[in-house]
This record gives sequence, structure tokens and C-alpha cells, in this order.
Amino acid sequence: MDWMNNFKIKMKGIKTRLKKANIPKSPPMLTIIEKTFFDLIKPIKFAVSLLIMLIQPLILILSPLMIGFGSITTINVDFDSISVEHAASIITIVLAYPLFSWTFGIVFTSILGIFGAPLVAEEVDSGTILILVSKPINRYKIFLAKYIALFLYGILLSFSIIFLVGWIAVIRYSGNVSHFIGILPFLYSLFLYAILLTLIFTSITLAFSSIFKKSRNAALAVILIVVLSFLGFPYIKALLQVNYERFQIYHFDIGYHLGNVFVLFIEIFDAIPPTAAWQIYFAQNFGVFKYVAYVDPDQNINLGGLEKTNYYLPVISLLIWIIIALLLLFYGFISIKKREIYG
Amino acid sequence: MFEIWSKDLTKIYEKGERAFEAVSKINLCVEPGIHGFLGPNGAGKTTVINMLVGALSITYGEAEIREKKAGSVTARKLIGFLPQDPVLYKNMSGEKYLIYMGRLGGLKRKEAKRKAQELLQDFDLLGDRNKKLRKYSGGMRQKIALAGALIHDPEILILDEPTTNLDAVGRAVFIEKIKDLGKKKSIFVSSHVLSEIEQMCEDITIISMGKIILTDSIKNLKKKFLENVFILDTNMNEKLLEQIKQEEFVSNTWIDDRDGKIRIIPKDPVKLRETMSKIIFENKAELYRFDQIELSLQNIFLKFV
Repeated sequence: MDWMNNFKIKMKGIKTRLKKANIPKSPPMLTIIEKTFFDLIKPIKFAVSLLIMLIQPLILILSPLMIGFGSITTINVDFDSISVEHAASIITIVLAYPLFSWTFGIVFTSILGIFGAPLVAEEVDSGTILILVSKPINRYKIFLAKYIALFLYGILLSFSIIFLVGWIAVIRYSGNVSHFIGILPFLYSLFLYAILLTLIFTSITLAFSSIFKKSRNAALAVILIVVLSFLGFPYIKALLQVNYERFQIYHFDIGYHLGNVFVLFIEIFDAIPPTAAWQIYFAQNFGVFKYVAYVDPDQNINLGGLEKTNYYLPVISLLIWIIIALLLLFYGFISIKKREIYG
Repeated sequence: MFEIWSKDLTKIYEKGERAFEAVSKINLCVEPGIHGFLGPNGAGKTTVINMLVGALSITYGEAEIREKKAGSVTARKLIGFLPQDPVLYKNMSGEKYLIYMGRLGGLKRKEAKRKAQELLQDFDLLGDRNKKLRKYSGGMRQKIALAGALIHDPEILILDEPTTNLDAVGRAVFIEKIKDLGKKKSIFVSSHVLSEIEQMCEDITIISMGKIILTDSIKNLKKKFLENVFILDTNMNEKLLEQIKQEEFVSNTWIDDRDGKIRIIPKDPVKLRETMSKIIFENKAELYRFDQIELSLQNIFLKFV
């Protein structure tokens, strides 16, 4: 009972010290996070976002055609007769590219841009920021609160889609729960990638939202980056072919760096077997892999195959993007701190 | 300790190589009570207020709210701010808006809810508490914005043209509300409508073209100016005006456009009376009128700005 009394005395002491420190009872920052987050996750908005993200993976999963293994073929796989690992590898191979390029590529990043762009720009443009900055909260905390809210929204959206896609694919192909467990490493790698993507694109979006006066312009700027990354550079790569490497376009190819990191996470979790079935798309469109003509010296046979280009080590690509995200976040802080708010 | 204090408060906007001085060397010493901040449109009232609440940076000078640096978080804890023509969150209901404002001011959710209910009752908005703010009328928006400034029980209210966009009845109600609040809190209220300031305030500061013209209590101003204005009418008013302007015992003098007669505010009324006959005689002017008149506060304001 002594320890209980001591504990009570200690807690009382802590409470008294906290009271003296005059910490607000309901931190304003938490209030802004709450409001912003609940504004973002309006049910219809959320549902529509999920649906658009699901379109391409759903078409592939529900279609009898399977694009893979270097050719179009029908799925004639009896999932009940193959091992869990084999089943998992088939499912993940189907999902890898559409989830990277469409779901988490074009759509997810655009959604973050469209819904995140008004968070600062709209407040400034409409004038509501004037009342906000007159409240007892530092400006950088206002920015950080909106960042955290958008980040949490991105995490919730990506977690939901990963969970949904995983289950839809498993139900569609086999209906076997163990196959869902089998694809968990892939889902983990995807979730880790989604966290990074959310970190980066939340920073980009809020930085633009702080710079541009109109939220529409901020959203367009983010979408431009997305289009460039997932459509523009792949097109340039296809046009330039060998000159892509010669002119070292990969330095600026955002899609390459993101693909590089995506593949890194896949490899960390050993999520998909290293086969050309999925690597080919990352080779053709994003330069993460390249064709290498291996010739067996003894038999003089061309073995073919893909290997990593390693223009950048994946860890370096990851670091670059984390640094870019932090720099943009810092820029956003400075931008809102120095901003003059007119009445 | 002054409620609001500033020394040489200056705001300069720079665009490229051009610089524009919006307000210059504003010195404020606002005592507890209701203090009016009066000036025509474009005088710089909103600029000064926005510097006090931290929305604009201060180029030169200093300002404090109860000895806390203006714009700091500690200073903003003390104030409730009602901007000119306040913009509200259109998709929030009145009640949710007040709760949000309360929580931003540091209140717990339960406390913010309770205070929101009290204020909605007080401002006669209880029946509209669930309506979206975009559906509120101008008067209702002004009331809810004032409630939002009050919810965390600040010690000083800063109101920027609070009666803009209100009709006559709305204005009257609002002014009464402010006078009522003034019994419990210090209020710094800006306006370009002299009659409203006269109704609400004890002390006023007049600003024009970015500079303070004068600061005084309304009582003193009336006393000073009402006893101290002379009217002079002769057959050569323009000529005499130039001469009177040079006299060191004259504070201000002008020809009133309405009647063409000279108005004189002397520093020394006795000296003026003594010297006037000499001026008229030297210029061989015909004197039609020379006496002291009553000047309204409106006239004082108009002449200074």
C-alpha cells in the first residue's frame, strides 16, 4: 500500500507541475488536426477515392486475361493444387505493376494533391487564416497540424486500399485465407512504400499550398509532377531508348527513383520472386531493371534476363526523397511563418 | 500597464524597388476601457490592428499587449479578435464554429460546448446553431464572429469596424452589445463612423494617412475644440488667411468651403483677439464677423483628416 500512496503523491506532483506550466487544456494543434482530418475523410469523398484507386487492379483481377510472364495468357491455375508460396507469387505478380503505376502512382498521389492543396491555400484565399493566426498557436504548428492530418488521411486511404485489394484478389482467385497470409509480405512492402509516398507527396502538396494563392494552382502543380513521373518520363524513356542512359536522364526521372524504392521494399520483404513477369514493366517504363544478355561462356548460349540498373542505389533514392520531403516541409514552415495576412 | 502600447510602430510594404509606408510611427497608449480608433477608409487602421494581432509583421517599432510582445502566442492568449468583414468556415454550423474557436483558444471540448451554448443564447442564435454559416445573414455572421472572439474569455477585445455590413438596427444592437462588454473587458474598436465611436468610447485615437493625428478622451476633445474656434469673415478672406497662417499663436486655420469664412483654432485665444484688430486694420479689410463658435466632433474629425 506504501507504493500506492507514493504513486498517488507522485501523480499529484506531476499534475501540479503541469498546471503551473500553463499548458493549454486542449492543444490548439490537436484541434486543427482533428478538424482537418475529419474534413478530409468525408464518406463520399473517401469512397470515391477508393473506387478510383481500385479501378485498374480490379479490372486485372476480375478479368480472365492475365498480363504477365511476358505474354498474354489465360489463367488456368488451380489455386487449390499449388503451394501457398506459388499462389502468393502469382497474385503479387498480377498486382505489383498496377498498384505501383496506377493505384499508388497516378491516383493516390493526385488525390493527396487535390485534397491537400486547399488546406493552406484555401484558408489564405478565403481569409479564414486571419482568424486562425490571431489565435494562440504558432503558425508553424498550424502548418504541421495540417500536414499531420493529410498524412493520416493518406495512411488511412492506403491501408484501406491495400487491405481491400489483397482480399479481393485472394477471394477472386482462390478464396483461401492462407493465400492472403501468403501475400502479406507484399502488402507490408506496399504499405511501407505508401508511407514513404504519403510523406513525400504530403510535403510537396503542402509546400505548394503555401506558395500558391489559389488551391487549384497548387493541385495542378502536384498533378503535373505526378503526370511527369508516371507518364512523362516513361514516354521519354521509350523515345530515347539507349540515349536515356547515355544522357543520364535517370537523375531527374522521378518515376525511376520511386520505382527503385518500391523494388527495394519488395526485396526487403522478399515479397515477390525475382522474375521477368513483373520486372519487365519496371524495366520498360521506369528503368529500374535492364535487359542483360548473359552468354554462357561454355556453351555460348544467350541466357537473357533482367538485372537492376542501379543508376542509384535504392537506399540513396530513398534518402534523396526523404531529404526532398523534409526540405519541402521546412520550406512550407518558412513560407507560412513569413506570410503577411491582410485583413 | 497599458492594455495596448506601441512606440514608433511602422509598416512599410516593399515591392521590387518601390516602398510604400502604410503607417508611420504609431504611438499608442491604450488604457483599460473602450478605446476608439478612428480614421477614414485607407487611413491605416486595419494595418495597425493586423500588426497588433500578429497577422502582419512589424517593419519598425514595437507593440505590446499588456507588456507581452504583440503577435506572440502569449499576447494572442489575451486577445479576442474580430476582423473587418469576417470570413467564416462556410460548411460549419454556428455551434461547431464556436466550439472550434473555443478549442483553438485552449478550452477543453466540454467547456467549449458549454460556452458555445451560452454565447448562442446570449446572441440570440440558439435557434440557428445547426445552420451552416453560409446560410447566415450579414448580421448573424457578425454576431457569431464576435461570439467566436469572446468564447475563450479574453481580457482584451480588438474589433476592426465591427458594424460594417450591418443595417441600422443591427448597428444599434451591436453597439449596445459592445458597450455592455466594455463593462467587463477592455475594447479597442476601430471605425470610420464618428457617431458610433462617440456612442461607444471614452477615449479615441484619430489616424489619417498612416499617422496618428491626435489621442484624447472625447470629453477633453469637445472641451478643447468647442471653446476654441473662431470665425472671421471679411471682404478679403483669402489674403488674410495667408497672413493668419504665419502667426505663431495660431494652431490651425482654413476657409470653410460651405460659407467661405475663415475658421481659426488659436493656441492663444487672448493673443488672437488682441492681434486680429491690428491685422484687419493693416489690410484695410471690411470686417463682417469675428466671434467664437461651437465646433462639433464631426467637424474636428473632418478638418484633421
